[in-house]
Amino acid sequence: MRKHLALALALAVVSLFVTGALAASSLSFNGAGNGAGAGPATARGVGATVADFTLSDAGGQQHALSALKGAKGTVLVFLSIQCPVVKAYDERIEQLAKAYKAKGINFIGLNANSTETADEIKSHASTHYTFPVLIDRDNKIADQLGAERTPEIFFLDASNKIVYHGRIDNNRDKAMVSKSELSDAIEAVLAGKPVAVTETASVGCTIKKKKSY
Amino acid sequence: MRRSRSSLALLCGAFLLTFSTTGRPAVFGQAASSQKANEKSASATTAAALKPIELDLEGLKSLLRRDPKDARPLLINFWATWCEPCREEFPDLLKIKDDYRKRGLDFAAVSFDFAEEVERAVPDFLRQVKADIKPYWLNLPDPEPAIRMIDPTWTGGLPSTFLFDAQGKLVFKRTGRIRPAELRAAIDKVVTSDK
Repeated sequence: MRKHLALALALAVVSLFVTGALAASSLSFNGAGNGAGAGPATARGVGATVADFTLSDAGGQQHALSALKGAKGTVLVFLSIQCPVVKAYDERIEQLAKAYKAKGINFIGLNANSTETADEIKSHASTHYTFPVLIDRDNKIADQLGAERTPEIFFLDASNKIVYHGRIDNNRDKAMVSKSELSDAIEAVLAGKPVAVTETASVGCTIKKKKSY
Repeated sequence: MRRSRSSLALLCGAFLLTFSTTGRPAVFGQAASSQKANEKSASATTAAALKPIELDLEGLKSLLRRDPKDARPLLINFWATWCEPCREEFPDLLKIKDDYRKRGLDFAAVSFDFAEEVERAVPDFLRQVKADIKPYWLNLPDPEPAIRMIDPTWTGGLPSTFLFDAQGKLVFKRTGRIRPAELRAAIDKVVTSDK
């Protein structure tokens, strides 16, 4: 009887070791997987600080980032009036902008498409957004930030450091959204916590830059 | 009892079949229709053949897979009918595909069209440009894993065109409308010289 008990004990110890080792190996495997799948580094990627810039709105009035930025952070969102993906997100962008303005996060729209006129941008902005939309002529700011598509987000903390870059959420169909990385990032900054997911990719329209057309 | 057991087995078989053909647990109606699309597209160049073949992540992976014995590079274009530069460059891509087919180049056009538009918009457009291709459509709840699989530095702007050599190594990429001469020069380096 005692022999049996000892055997059982030994077996239990061995199985504990084995499961422990297995768990450890699967953990390290997962770790390696995450590392390999790490996000892309843009020219001025996450961690970089955005220098103050001045652009004019569709009415010709000049605005500096320093004057439009939020006390807690700023969302720069590259927009287009023609892109169907932006159209699918217009309502969500406006809702986020409204919800977070009261909490000290300001949204600034940027239109860097050489194919869209100031008048079109003005009328689109006035019917869809309550936040300012600036015209990035010659895609100067888009190039500085490494922006390529619309909609594309650069979320800056209070000191203008990029803390999140990428998409608004994971599905252009609102009913299918299961990850909302932009609002997660904003909530983290508001709570004084580090942003968990800092880079995401999504399908969008390429910015119609002047040099490439 | 025996009868109910055998019908249970049949049901299980049907389940397995549905899951294995789509590669993922999909809604039954969707799975059936995508399978139908597959069969149609495989059969010759009828109008129905332009109906896109639905791809999931596994499907994209197998499309990218290169067989070292075949030594065929792959030119893959990501597009959507709602994307203007995508539509503009499509005839150029078709010409390049035709010019290099004999030199061993594989070509795939993968659409990111909206689910509610894909069945009509994609075949309509392809007919318009007289495309003789087997079109694909990526239907994913989250496009990010596919984007990362193609190229970790791609952020998802359309159109985007990628050239993989016969070993499956990414050798050329272009986001935005292709420049045909630049793309041809890149293809020249990875295809066989004999026509």
